[in-house]
Amino acid sequence: MKGTYLGEFEELVLLAVGILFDDAYGLAIVDELEHKTGRPIMMSAVHKVLVRLEDKGYLKSRMGGATQVRGGRDKRLYTLTAAGKKVLSQSRELRNSMWREVPKIVWEAGAL
Amino acid sequence: MKNKTPQREGPPRWAVRFFRWYCNDHLSEAALGDFMELYDRRRAAIGKRKADLLFIGNVVAFLQPFALRRKRQSYALNELAMFENYFKIAWRTMARQKMYTSITIGGLALGLATCLVIFLYIRRELSFDKNYANGARLYRMYNDFRGPDAARWTSLPPMVAQIVKTDYPEVEKSGRLIPQKWQQAGSNLFRREDQVENLYEEGFVYADNELLDILEISFVSGSRENALIKPNSIVLSKRMADKYFPGEEAIGKTVILNEHKDTPYVIGGVMADFAADSHLHYDFLLTLTGVEFWPGEQTSWCCWNYDTYVRLKPGADAVALQKKLTAIRDNYLMGYLAQTGDQSAAEIKLHHFLGLQPVKNIHLNPEKVEDELRHGDARYVWLFGGIAVFILLLACINFINLSTAKSANRAKEVGLRKVVGSVRGYLIRQFLTESLVYSVVSFVFGVLLVTLVMPFFNSLAGTELSVPWQTVWFIPLLAAAALVIGVFAGLYPAFYLSSFKPAEVLKGTVSKGSKSSGLRSALVVFQFATSIVLIIGTFIIYKQMNFILHTKVGFDKDQVVMVQGTNTLRKQQETFKEELLQLSEVESATLSDYLPVAGTNRDQNTFWKEGKQREDIGVSGQIWFVDADYIHTLGMKVVEGRDFDKRLASDSQAVVINQAMVKNLGLKKHLGERITNGNGVFTVVGVVENFNFESMKGAIRPLCLKYANGGSIAAVKVKSHNLTSTLASLAKVWNKFMPHQPFRYSFLDESYARMYEDVSRTGKILTCFATLAIIVACLGLFALSSFMVEQRGKEISIRLVMGATTGSIFQLLTRNFVKLVLIALVIAAPLAWYMTQKWLEDYAYKIDVTWDVFVLAGVVSVIIALFTVSYQSIRAAMANPANRLRSE
Repeated sequence: MKGTYLGEFEELVLLAVGILFDDAYGLAIVDELEHKTGRPIMMSAVHKVLVRLEDKGYLKSRMGGATQVRGGRDKRLYTLTAAGKKVLSQSRELRNSMWREVPKIVWEAGAL
Repeated sequence: MKNKTPQREGPPRWAVRFFRWYCNDHLSEAALGDFMELYDRRRAAIGKRKADLLFIGNVVAFLQPFALRRKRQSYALNELAMFENYFKIAWRTMARQKMYTSITIGGLALGLATCLVIFLYIRRELSFDKNYANGARLYRMYNDFRGPDAARWTSLPPMVAQIVKTDYPEVEKSGRLIPQKWQQAGSNLFRREDQVENLYEEGFVYADNELLDILEISFVSGSRENALIKPNSIVLSKRMADKYFPGEEAIGKTVILNEHKDTPYVIGGVMADFAADSHLHYDFLLTLTGVEFWPGEQTSWCCWNYDTYVRLKPGADAVALQKKLTAIRDNYLMGYLAQTGDQSAAEIKLHHFLGLQPVKNIHLNPEKVEDELRHGDARYVWLFGGIAVFILLLACINFINLSTAKSANRAKEVGLRKVVGSVRGYLIRQFLTESLVYSVVSFVFGVLLVTLVMPFFNSLAGTELSVPWQTVWFIPLLAAAALVIGVFAGLYPAFYLSSFKPAEVLKGTVSKGSKSSGLRSALVVFQFATSIVLIIGTFIIYKQMNFILHTKVGFDKDQVVMVQGTNTLRKQQETFKEELLQLSEVESATLSDYLPVAGTNRDQNTFWKEGKQREDIGVSGQIWFVDADYIHTLGMKVVEGRDFDKRLASDSQAVVINQAMVKNLGLKKHLGERITNGNGVFTVVGVVENFNFESMKGAIRPLCLKYANGGSIAAVKVKSHNLTSTLASLAKVWNKFMPHQPFRYSFLDESYARMYEDVSRTGKILTCFATLAIIVACLGLFALSSFMVEQRGKEISIRLVMGATTGSIFQLLTRNFVKLVLIALVIAAPLAWYMTQKWLEDYAYKIDVTWDVFVLAGVVSVIIALFTVSYQSIRAAMANPANRLRSE
């Protein structure tokens, strides 16, 4: 349990890093999440989660990709680590297995 | 958009700086980049103002634990290692350049030692009379005459102490003291009743019993409440009790003063010796209980002899009380003056006030009240303090100058450190550490030096200072001072040295130490200006001292022996004098209580022309009782009329007056005029030339010599130059008359010189200061010159090869330094002139400050500077150029 638990927002961030692949840095992740979820995302919240995920070993980072718009500053580019990928798939496995256990009737009853 | 300045475009700079400050290195660059990107986007969409606000919002929102700067534990080890390295490098640098190191440390240690000694001195001067339990309520009364001849003095009529207590509810206690040499106050012959031998003792005063309580005098035996309450009681200090009653109980014993067997004193108590930081320093307190020096004295207003101390009630307002004290003048003094018809009444009513001086102020005496005590002088306290700080500054300058001059040697190190990744902060820290090492080492030497020279300074300044090792604050204070001095001296070199650009240094383009030569010159000028001011000051003080001691003072003080205590001869006085005159060595002799040096009797009278007492304002002056041999024995000059003649019976009412008296009384025909002091009428038979009988600080005041026989001092003019044998024969005569009394003598010229002890002491202290300043400055100059020679070594060699003479090389190397010293002289001269003028203002008889002093000081300092620089210069000029050039 310790260290392996993944919160909802953490999972989203991890996924966003995966989506952005080669250009996953703070602002891009914020954009991506806002775009996908449609709700406003705090930049500080994202950075906070990124730091925590890196500490847990799900992400690794390097500096690079400075552009003029950023005042010439480097980005901190994140990529998923093996552990990160593993925890994501574990999470998906868990959901899938739980999905499977929900009786079909539940979905149909919902259609009433 | 292109033509806008970048500051205008960007977000608020303070917000960026704030963010950079709090955010850790891991995030700050990337996060700030994100902020900027977002900001750019927002500015395009919603305008700069809103974007700015949102940017600030971002920064604030980021202020969370995860983003804050954290302490990295791994750093600490690293830093410790760095400090180790700093110390190692500092040690190596010090060891490699032994001469520079010892000059820096030696100079700094000298400066620090001076500062420390002066600090202890100032501390003592400021610590006087601070230890009374009720110190804030203790005051000494003084007269404040605010008229044209403004003066403040302490002695008051006998009644005032009682009046001030009964008339003013604010006053809790009051007590009187007679400290001046008067009646039995001062010095006496002293013995136990049960012994025959007399000893001469000083430090007698009269005091009220209540004064013991006011001044919180502590008692070893007996008590403060009643030690002086009985008539004819006396209090001895502990050391005197131990001297006269060793191993016995002194209290209750009887003692005899001056062989007055009819009025013995009984010891009422033994008090603890007065502390060194008390303004009082007496060994014998005689009671004032039941004392009346002549009939009606205690209730009279004629004679002012009593210092009066008061203790106020808690919460009483001294300032308000001081204003109310004027009523004493109006209610009592004015009545007496009206009764006697004194013409000065109107003036006294207008100008005479009474004041209260806090006892804790007495030593430094900012109120400038005249009294009999030895005072500190606040001006000297601050002057010495200032000079000590200056000397320390000179030493710090040496450090700054040498470390910037030698910077070339360190430049490579700095460059390399920067290349390997040291930031400027680390380098600054390194150089500060280094200067701290210097400062701490100097402190150790300085404190050692202080312990060594302390006895010397004490004898010089007449103090009893010691290094207060035992006190809690001393060591921490030293440590703190070492830190402050180290940082202060190291700051400029640290910034200067750490500013080198690695590329330039490693390429070798930094010229060796030439960069701040302007500053170095300025500092050398400063050093020498300070030294020259001190040299001039010392010269002037010595000249003035010389003037005082050797100028014609109106009497001949050489070859005069003063035999003390002749009053105890009683009726045999004249026979004693006759016997003295029998001696072949003796030229003449006179007996009197009054001599023109300090420590003999003085008094205060008022003189009028006969019959003008109710018309004229009196002339204050002294009346001295002298015999017929007085004037010629002391070599005074009668300018008009004649000396006393003992064959003329009429001379018993005759007086000889000095020129000041003639002038102030406005006597027209000088001789034969009759004058009065209110008690008697005298005929002027002669006028004596003015002679100094008080300090040279004031003008000579009116004096009246009256014919009388006898006195406590026999002044003997001796012919012989063999003083030892003369003194032996004098002693033989004395012992014939007085076998149980010590033969005491002093020399008139020495007593005279003692009056100016303070001046000569100041002179000596200043000499030390000037010497120290010059030494420190020269140390610096010496090091600078050797550095310069080292730096220009090749140039000199080439010049020599090309045919330069030794002389021209010497000139080349010294010219610059001499120029600096001359500039310093130009700066120092007016400063010194102004300061010495101020000092001389105190003296009525003084030297003129002439140009030769300045020239002399200039020549001295140039010669010293030249001498200092020449060692290195001559060595350079004499060296074989081949040796230096071959190495290339």
